[in-house]
Amino acid sequence: MIVTIFKKDLKLFFSNKKNVVLTFLIPILLISLFAFAFGGISMSSSENKQVTLLYTRFDTSLISKKIKVQLDTLSTINLVQVTLEEGNKALLKGKNAGFLILNEGLKDSLLLSKKLPIVFKYDAANPFEAKMLQSIVTGVVMNTIGSQLYMHKIAHYMDTKFKSMPADLKQRILTDVSKVSLKNKISTVVSAVPVVKKSSDTGNLGLIQAVAGTAIMMLLFSISGVGGGLLEEKESGTLSRLLYTPIKPTAILYGKMLATLFISMLQLVTMFVFSWIAFGLPIFKDITSLILLTIAVAFSVSSFGVFLVSVSKTRQQLQNLSTIIILLMSAIGGSMIPLFVMPNIMQKIAVISLNYWGIQGYYDIFWRNLSIVEILPRIGVLGLIGLVMLLISIPLFKRNIVALTN
Amino acid sequence: MIHVVNLEKHFESVTAVNKISFSIQEGEIFGLLGPNGAGKSTTIKILSTLLKSDSGSAYINGKDVNKKADECKKIIGVVPQEIALYEDFSAYDNLMFWGQLNGVSKTELKQKIPELLQLIGLEDRKSDLLKTYSGGMKRRINIAAALLHNPKILFMDEPTTGVDPQSRNKIFDIIETLNAKGMTVIYTTHYMEEVERLCNNIAIIDTGKIIAQGTINELQAQCDLHEYILLKTAKKVPSSIVTKLQEVLQLPVSYSKSVISVKCKPHLHLKAVLNHCELLKIEIVDIQIQKANLETIFLHLTGKQLRDY
Repeated sequence: MIVTIFKKDLKLFFSNKKNVVLTFLIPILLISLFAFAFGGISMSSSENKQVTLLYTRFDTSLISKKIKVQLDTLSTINLVQVTLEEGNKALLKGKNAGFLILNEGLKDSLLLSKKLPIVFKYDAANPFEAKMLQSIVTGVVMNTIGSQLYMHKIAHYMDTKFKSMPADLKQRILTDVSKVSLKNKISTVVSAVPVVKKSSDTGNLGLIQAVAGTAIMMLLFSISGVGGGLLEEKESGTLSRLLYTPIKPTAILYGKMLATLFISMLQLVTMFVFSWIAFGLPIFKDITSLILLTIAVAFSVSSFGVFLVSVSKTRQQLQNLSTIIILLMSAIGGSMIPLFVMPNIMQKIAVISLNYWGIQGYYDIFWRNLSIVEILPRIGVLGLIGLVMLLISIPLFKRNIVALTN
Repeated sequence: MIHVVNLEKHFESVTAVNKISFSIQEGEIFGLLGPNGAGKSTTIKILSTLLKSDSGSAYINGKDVNKKADECKKIIGVVPQEIALYEDFSAYDNLMFWGQLNGVSKTELKQKIPELLQLIGLEDRKSDLLKTYSGGMKRRINIAAALLHNPKILFMDEPTTGVDPQSRNKIFDIIETLNAKGMTVIYTTHYMEEVERLCNNIAIIDTGKIIAQGTINELQAQCDLHEYILLKTAKKVPSSIVTKLQEVLQLPVSYSKSVISVKCKPHLHLKAVLNHCELLKIEIVDIQIQKANLETIFLHLTGKQLRDY
């Protein structure tokens, strides 16, 4: 009986062209759009997006030239020379986030241990990119003139505090300090080490975010639509007719659940295969984990869809309820905006969202390269969410049947 | 075959079915007649096991519908008021689905479905999607879907709602064919003429109560209703002539809007009425017999016209 209901629901689903378009075509379009938006398509994992840094150089010393050359060699920076006026205008208009001004007298300031005439102007409306540029500029400046800066500061200190110190001793101290500082360049005091398991097939963060985030969000939408078929049956009278037959009411729910689970999996598989063909997402790097996680995501989303249907009494009510809840969960859980750009508190709240567990699971597979054992807890959480939702849905569904027959 | 005793059902403060009792014999077409909201559908839902009654009892073939719902479901078929079918499926696929849900094997259905499609006259449209059917055709498939498991009893809840006269006649023919084969039919409607044509036994239900039941003749007798001969005259008849007619016939006669009404038993008095009219030189242009029908019975019992609802 459950299989008969399952087959009927699948047949009904595929006979409706609108359903098919909403379930498969729209998510594909959105994944493509988000993949472009997150900048993940044309770049490999080791590459980063180039950020433009405007600069103008009034200082003609070798030091400022060195800074300019250092910045120019960075693959992350697209260094563009502008006039002072052009630079200020670009910041005001929001065209660029940072503008470096190397003012005249850099060498003298360094020798006299005065404040360096280096100014970094930034667009306050783009704080993320500005902060990043500022830290790059600081690193390059420190890397280029950091040792000299400290040497001059120490020399100046000794000249003012230890005036009676013999000149040869001062020179010996400065030589020793110089040797030490050259060995340990300031920029290497804090070493940045990317913590990602080595893999020959590491994915692309932007692409993973686009695929996982969008696929789960769209899955929630399409599944609430599929579940809505149950309310359509209630309104058209076929649900009453089903209840006239010897079938148990719960079998109707299980049959519907099975159909939504199948469609969920089909949708996710389509999304991943499309991302593999179109954008090279490495779906075969850990296929076992991917299959298990996909089943868990499909199960939890299907149960969630059935839950939404069970609490709704009309299709209109379902539509309003599901739109609000799905958008909220997707926003919190990282489907719309990647979690890593959210504040700490939002990242903590994200765990209440079903999207979070799914997206992080896909990150574990494609980005963090975790083993199946390490991914199992996330799969377990998704399975638990699905089970709880299903258990809650059963009495709610029965109650709605009673309401229906009234 | 069906026994209902003091059946009662409430929905919050509303009493949908109020201590109704009736019996239906095997092979009958039993009509449940009443206006919208009278309690017909609720009664059908209780008898077809979809709803549980609050009190009273109902038995189908000796089985309590509340306690032995699964056994009752095997011998009943239900034609719901709505066209409860899948519009995106063909007629054949719809019947295959509903048959399987009623526990009929695919092999049996492959034999049964063509028979039913022939009965309802839609065998040549079996592969067409239901959404391409007319309302009347859908109604016929709606009936066929309730017959796939060979039920002994068929509940039909207003099966002709919204259909054209031609399809309605076809549906009547189907019901009569099924009944001729021994099927018991419980038929709810608010159309008097349907009950008059189809049903052997009738229960009139209003505000959850059965206000009268029996055959049409029994109901007429219960209500002590009269029949009339209506004579349309060519010219205005003077009141003295009308009085004279009443005297010679010794029957109540009235005259209004060029129509003479004679309260009588038409099959006994028609000849005498016409003879005396001729003697009194009353020029008649039309004759009508107004029999007591369900409409008049309902009006008599409730003081309301059924079509007022």
